[in-house]
Amino acid sequence: MSTPILATKLYVPPPRTSVVLRPRLIERLDVGLRSRLILVSAPAGFGKTTIVSEWAAGGSRLEPKVRTAWLSLDEGDGDPARFLTYLVAALQTVAADVGQGVLGMLQSPQTPPTETMLATLLNEIAALPHGVVLVLDDYHRVDSEPVDGAVAFLLEHLPPQLHLVIATREDPRLPLARWRARGQLTELRAADLRFSASEGAEFLNQAMGLDLSAEDISALETRTEGWIAGLQLAALSIQGHSDAVGFIEAFTGSNRFVLDYLVEEVLQRQPQAARSFLLQTSLLDTLCGALCDAVTGQKHGKEMLERLERDNLFVVPLDDERRWYRYHHLFADVLQALARAEQPDQLAALHKRASDWYEENGSRPDAVRHALYAEDFEWAADLIERAGPMLVTSSQTAIWLNWARSLPDELIRARPVLSVWHAYALLGSGELEAAEARLTDAERWLEPGPGQPTVSVDQEQLRSLLATIAVARAYRAHSLGDVPGTVKHAQRVLELLPEGDHPRREQAIALMGMTCWASGDLQAADRVFVDYSQRQIAAGNILVAISAMTVLPDIEPTLGRLREAIDALTGLLHVVVDQGEPLPPEAADLYRGLGELVLEQGDLTAAAAHLLKSKELGEQDELPVWRWRWHVAKARLHEVQGDPEGALRLLDEAQRLFIRTPLPDARPLAALKARIWATQGRVTEALEWARERGLSVDDDLSYLHEFEHVTLARVLVAQYESEHVDGAVHDAIGLLERLLHAAEEGGRTGSAIEILAFQALAHQAQGDTSSALAPLERALSLAEPEGYVRVFVSEGPPMARLLTEAASRGIAPDSARRLLAAFREAGDAHPSGPKELLSEREVEVLQHIAAGLTNRQIAARLYLSLYTVKAHARSIYDKLDAHSRTQAVARARELGILPLH
Amino acid sequence: MAERRSQRTDPDWPAVYQIRVEGHLGHAMTGWFEGLSIALEDDGDTLLTGAVVDQAALHGLLTKVRDLGVLLVSVNRLDAGPGPRPTEEGD
Repeated sequence: MSTPILATKLYVPPPRTSVVLRPRLIERLDVGLRSRLILVSAPAGFGKTTIVSEWAAGGSRLEPKVRTAWLSLDEGDGDPARFLTYLVAALQTVAADVGQGVLGMLQSPQTPPTETMLATLLNEIAALPHGVVLVLDDYHRVDSEPVDGAVAFLLEHLPPQLHLVIATREDPRLPLARWRARGQLTELRAADLRFSASEGAEFLNQAMGLDLSAEDISALETRTEGWIAGLQLAALSIQGHSDAVGFIEAFTGSNRFVLDYLVEEVLQRQPQAARSFLLQTSLLDTLCGALCDAVTGQKHGKEMLERLERDNLFVVPLDDERRWYRYHHLFADVLQALARAEQPDQLAALHKRASDWYEENGSRPDAVRHALYAEDFEWAADLIERAGPMLVTSSQTAIWLNWARSLPDELIRARPVLSVWHAYALLGSGELEAAEARLTDAERWLEPGPGQPTVSVDQEQLRSLLATIAVARAYRAHSLGDVPGTVKHAQRVLELLPEGDHPRREQAIALMGMTCWASGDLQAADRVFVDYSQRQIAAGNILVAISAMTVLPDIEPTLGRLREAIDALTGLLHVVVDQGEPLPPEAADLYRGLGELVLEQGDLTAAAAHLLKSKELGEQDELPVWRWRWHVAKARLHEVQGDPEGALRLLDEAQRLFIRTPLPDARPLAALKARIWATQGRVTEALEWARERGLSVDDDLSYLHEFEHVTLARVLVAQYESEHVDGAVHDAIGLLERLLHAAEEGGRTGSAIEILAFQALAHQAQGDTSSALAPLERALSLAEPEGYVRVFVSEGPPMARLLTEAASRGIAPDSARRLLAAFREAGDAHPSGPKELLSEREVEVLQHIAAGLTNRQIAARLYLSLYTVKAHARSIYDKLDAHSRTQAVARARELGILPLH
Repeated sequence: MAERRSQRTDPDWPAVYQIRVEGHLGHAMTGWFEGLSIALEDDGDTLLTGAVVDQAALHGLLTKVRDLGVLLVSVNRLDAGPGPRPTEEGD
């Protein structure tokens, strides 16, 4: 469940017709586009929003053109995930394609760091053809350090296209003094915003249609000190007053604070119906006719709102349809104070009606908020219990937990279903002990025996509650790394729900699979995932089947079941394809997995084709985990093709996109990079990696660290080759021996093949060919039936020499010759003349790009359509793994496709 | 200057604070500053006096002052020491 976006928060307030033109301020804002930040900082009622929207409406007269994105903030935006969601939504109103990636990341259970997402967003903005002014209005309402940090990050890395305007009642926590000193800050403060005498006169007599003498105007000016809200209220009072002069005298002679004096004056001039409408609806953040009717119990709310807007009664429209409005915050504050003073006992009932209306109209968060204001905790608990299914992403969990914190403890404890949801929320935020207490509370209600009737609004949840509790306990045990505990509780779920495709049952199975996997029992994990995905296919849940099936490429090749994995994925792909076009984007992960598997068998052409197909599908949608995993798969392809630099670049990109998942990270990115460094002889960096990870040859071995330990052995052999440290190679050979034993114990034939092959190379490095051939022969005989090829080919020339030696001595000659042929193929795939990488036409387009021509100019010069040039450019970027024109040109120079100058 | 003690170890919390703002607040506004006594001074200012639970509550009060657009004149902590010590001046 994602956060619904309220369009009203993104609405650019239209310039008011009856506004005083203030060219001196508009000019300062125009000039302000050259600074890093435009800060409009003044107390309430100084016309901050008005002047900025006035200026934004004229954005088209600016050169270069800018478009305005608007975000009205509120207290809820203090949560960084929600702030980012709205930030992207605001930007999308002026650049539709920006931020899709970030929204995808925000929907994943494990969101990447805020700065990673902001960096992605800024790169996309930097590619926009037009400028964007982003207005953050009411910034003081956020009051959250993570959001201040995010805004500071944005401002420190602003691309030239983006201009930021912050309107606020208090200075934000940003390095303002530093920017001020460097001339990077444009400020409009209270002193700038106050109406000058002439502006005040123009406002009162023209905008508000009064006819006051210079003396009266001056008296009002002095009394309100140019405070716009005060002048507007004064004007409204005078409009309804028979004796304007008398009013001005009384007001200017009063000691009463301007605001509440005038609001009461204005209210007294309103008819009774309007007055009570204003007081009763003042507790609503946003207003529409139907909601006002529900709260006031009257009709004609819509007409009333329109009338208030016409009469300039501090009602701000939030859309173009005249549907949603809000009160000016300052006005609402005074109205609320008056309502509290005049009708204190009515407030709870008003909040309850608002809550009911929101619940009926599908806006549960608002319903909960008003239920809590009403202090109707029973009703709030009903709502919060119904909202349990929203506990999916971390940001939603945070919101739900905040609600639960507002409920009296005993109320939660009396409701088993609510207690269990609470336990899930606590588990999701890492509070394992508190979660256990809630589960124990819930169980008490389920024990048979005389007791109170159980309170729950969700009977279906109540029926499967025991299973739900057991899933929560399994999850908790999994978080604690308690394997037997996880299996025990997951088994309990299966006993309670013996059949059917109950979601709790599936969760338990998935937890079991993950636990077995993480603890190194790959055989059991494999069985769980294979059975699970087959049941899902049978039940027609293709997408769930895909997500389960894509773990097979991580498990089965390690177990030596390469063919089985390929068959399983190919079979599922047939099912998906049979369902017709368009293929679901999730199939991107299936192609990615298949690409990795056929690469293991040495089929580079098929691997490249699968990865390309995967990319086409995946880019249509946001699949954050797929995205980094695709880069890893592509990196392995480059490695086999003998392009370590390209592989490293892709791994760096994968690292930038990396998102943790609940699955074990059995092949960490840092280790993949260290392997490549080892083959390149970059021993210092590789040793540094091992030191950072705290790895040593004497460590206890486990499946989860197997990949890192094999990598360590590779690094030590590389150290021996470059520095001739005898100790290093002995250590490596000892470690490999232990690793081989552990892999055989765990039935990991795939791991054993790699370890044996590398053992052979370690002996070969010492010039001991006869010791090298024995493990090589074992590796070949294990690899042959399943067709493992990559594991040999990616070892490069030393392995080719060793295989030639083996074939000449009649050791597994057929296998060795087949592998040597694969070496030649891999060499062909990596173009000997890199020029062949690009077609003639592509080289021609690239030369023009390097000369600095735009796509349009290139199209004109080569007599091609703009579309064709763009297609060529895309293909060039893809082949060169570049993300920009400059990068493509630099890569082409590196590869000798273009001259180096 | 009295010696500064951190809030955690300071036995003086909750503390009594006096907030001076410009202008007389109307009766409705008294509800706005719940729990504080409100005195209208002859010089046209209003004094809000009362116990404040902790720093967070104090800043919450100051935010209310900010949101009403009232001019903040001074904030004083009233303690058993030799008279109030000014801690913040409005502009």
